[in-house]
Amino acid sequence: MKRIVVEKKILEKNDDIANQIRKTLDSNHIFGLNVMSSPGAGKTTLIERMVEIFKSKYKIAAIDGDLDTQRDAQRIAALGIETVQINTSGACHLDSSMVYKALNDITLDLDLLIIENVGNLVCPASFYLGTHKNVVLISTPEGDDKVKKYPTMFNVADVVLINKTDIAQFVKFDVEKVENEIKELNPHALIYKISALKNDGLEPFLSWVESNIVSVKNQ
Amino acid sequence: MHEGGIAQSIVEILAEVKEQNELSCITSVTLKVGKMSGVMIYALEFALEAIKCEEEFIKNTKFNIISVDVKAKCSLCGREYQFADTDEMNLLCPDCQMPLSIINGKELEIVDVEGK
Ligand SMILES: Nc1nc2c(ncn2[C@@H]2O[C@H](COP(=O)(O)OP(=O)(O)OP(=O)(O)O)[C@@H](O)[C@H]2O)c(=O)[nH]1
Ligand SMILES: [Mg+2]
Ligand SMILES: [Zn+2]
Repeated sequence: MKRIVVEKKILEKNDDIANQIRKTLDSNHIFGLNVMSSPGAGKTTLIERMVEIFKSKYKIAAIDGDLDTQRDAQRIAALGIETVQINTSGACHLDSSMVYKALNDITLDLDLLIIENVGNLVCPASFYLGTHKNVVLISTPEGDDKVKKYPTMFNVADVVLINKTDIAQFVKFDVEKVENEIKELNPHALIYKISALKNDGLEPFLSWVESNIVSVKNQ
Repeated sequence: MHEGGIAQSIVEILAEVKEQNELSCITSVTLKVGKMSGVMIYALEFALEAIKCEEEFIKNTKFNIISVDVKAKCSLCGREYQFADTDEMNLLCPDCQMPLSIINGKELEIVDVEGK
């Protein structure tokens, strides 16, 4: 009988590939943004808003992860930017090897790469994709008890967007309670209240994105 | 659930360990899973049980999973806080109002392996 000390990260391979992606992004001065939320919280709607605002000024591409269908990629591609759909065929998250492959299909003459992860508040949080920042959406119809149920996701967020504020009053969503719980899990996170659909409250988030684009460009 | 994929990654690493150390089978494995790793232990146990039947060298492996509580430290006063339950988790130092840095609880690793 032999005892072998291994002390190895289980997701080391994923992290290695993610670090390669990060190098590619950095050397091409592309700001990478990973957008995560539960299904239907408004990721694609948010990305549509970002593209509408930024496409005249910056070169943007999107990678769209879904269990199935081309629907989200079609919505984003309709705005005239390069979009690659990844169908994860059952996997509930994107991993770095999927993104690495998708990057081969994208022209790297870009300022901003947006990755829409699979709708899921658990699994995507464990898989680093090499992006510079993580945005997590929570939408009011999901209920105001969700933050502490998904601690890992809210802990990895750089920005949390509380979306669908236009209907908060109809679904009894206590915005202040949610903000406090996010701060408890992640004191560093920036928190913005928005309605992606009504295009309301997006300015502070969009200027955060823009300042990141500019700082990665000047790196 | 991504625990199936995690179990797959574990088996890939175990196969490497087996090759490098010229083992014929692995009898036990110790894993560390933090409460902030995003992995549910019972789901991982389930996935590991399922995957065991697919590979001869892990057919009788015993997987010991150590659950790691979240521990965080204040960089100002140096106090450490431990949270067994994420409901009680507050990563702001109650004395200094400074963000705490997590020192434990994000682990997702293979600690050691026994085999012959
Ligand atoms: N009321 C309201 N509805 C919204 C808002 N943002 C998005 N929606 C609606 O929510 C639904 C889901 O939006 P999507 O943008 O497709 O959500 P998603 O997160 O991309 O969904 P998946 O990719 O399927 O996980 C759509 O019907 C949107 O119109 C908002 O701010 N307010
Ligand atoms: Mg979508
Ligand atoms: Zn302190």
